Amino acid sequence: MDSSEFSKFPIQAGQDAKEIMSNMDKITWDRIGSLSLENTRRNQQYLHHGKSLANLHGQPIGEEDTALIVASGPSIKIQNPAPIISSFGYKGAILCTESAIRYLLIHDIIPDLVVTVDPHPHRIVRWLGDPSLTKEKLTEDDYFRRQDMDTSFAQEISTNTKIIELLQEYGKQIKIAMSTTSSQAVVERVIEIGMEIYWWNPMLDDPDDENSMTRELHDINGLPCVNAGGNVGAAAFMMADAVLEKKHVGLLGMDYSYFDGTPYRNTQHYEAMVQLKKDEDMDAFFFRIHNPYVNKWFIADPAYMWYRESFMEIAQDADCMIYNCTEGGILFEDPIEFITIQKFMEKFSS
Amino acid sequence: MSSIMKGNYDLNKKVEGKKEEPEKLEDKFEKEALKHFGGSMAFVKKKKVEWNLKK
Repeated sequence: MDSSEFSKFPIQAGQDAKEIMSNMDKITWDRIGSLSLENTRRNQQYLHHGKSLANLHGQPIGEEDTALIVASGPSIKIQNPAPIISSFGYKGAILCTESAIRYLLIHDIIPDLVVTVDPHPHRIVRWLGDPSLTKEKLTEDDYFRRQDMDTSFAQEISTNTKIIELLQEYGKQIKIAMSTTSSQAVVERVIEIGMEIYWWNPMLDDPDDENSMTRELHDINGLPCVNAGGNVGAAAFMMADAVLEKKHVGLLGMDYSYFDGTPYRNTQHYEAMVQLKKDEDMDAFFFRIHNPYVNKWFIADPAYMWYRESFMEIAQDADCMIYNCTEGGILFEDPIEFITIQKFMEKFSS
Repeated sequence: MSSIMKGNYDLNKKVEGKKEEPEKLEDKFEKEALKHFGGSMAFVKKKKVEWNLKK
């Protein structure tokens, strides 16, 4: 790995990492472009099960002007912030990614708004419990078994059963900001649970561009178009900032990285990397970043590093103060304030 | 035989065909693999929400 000068903090980049990262816009487009349009067209038949996201604009979700975004990065299981949130009786809005629903519900915290955006045909539904999950299906895809996110999902069948039970009990009380690009499996599962659906189009490109696909989505359904920022955590932040118009937003589980030493096999994009290089050459795909606030190193693949850079741009344009309470990871630097969840609670729980 | 197959006359007009390089198997493979690297959704610079796009 070579040392890099492109950032103010210590960072090392594998030989292929920077090049792949610089092409992430196109790589992402190749992955989600046509799938998103296809899903949006198909989801037209389901729109009557929900309302437009416009109905949430400026609504008093949660008390006062604060929100917490809970994602499911590796820090969640180490930091375990739920007991702190509960002990302060936090009354602000709690938004979460679909991957973090289980974590919150098992700690008796019912999120005010869940966000989902990824169009993947069968993986995302697993965060909501997949009633059709079988052992045969599991042998075909080891994605969840490998993950260093919520490791409970590694014990797949029992976790799947638990999340189905939890959502059967609490799901009807939960609002979900559901992207029109969501897979059929996710849409049908959310309808089956009875969650309160708020539909939105993710921006696929700049709607002001000629032949914009975002505009094409809008022409199909007339729904608001939201910049999802590359991933569901950033999309959840956008909901807090631009839709609910919260003024102080805390982030949890937004690592955009793994703890140094995490086996590459347990990282999200391993299946792509292993097609291109042998295990012993995987360093080439990774960045190593030093987080000075916790004095630890973290590793990020090009997608995660792109998420970080994209979020930093979003942060520059945000209308709220951002507090990263993840207590790890690579999302820091101005204008993001890096504080503990304890401090955030002391500041915003009266 | 091969000299007959090549043709035994000259064309008046020189034809310059566009040679298209076939995509190498490795490139195709890399492209497919990289697709799995992609983010969950696009990121659009300097945009937040468009509540209603005018025609």
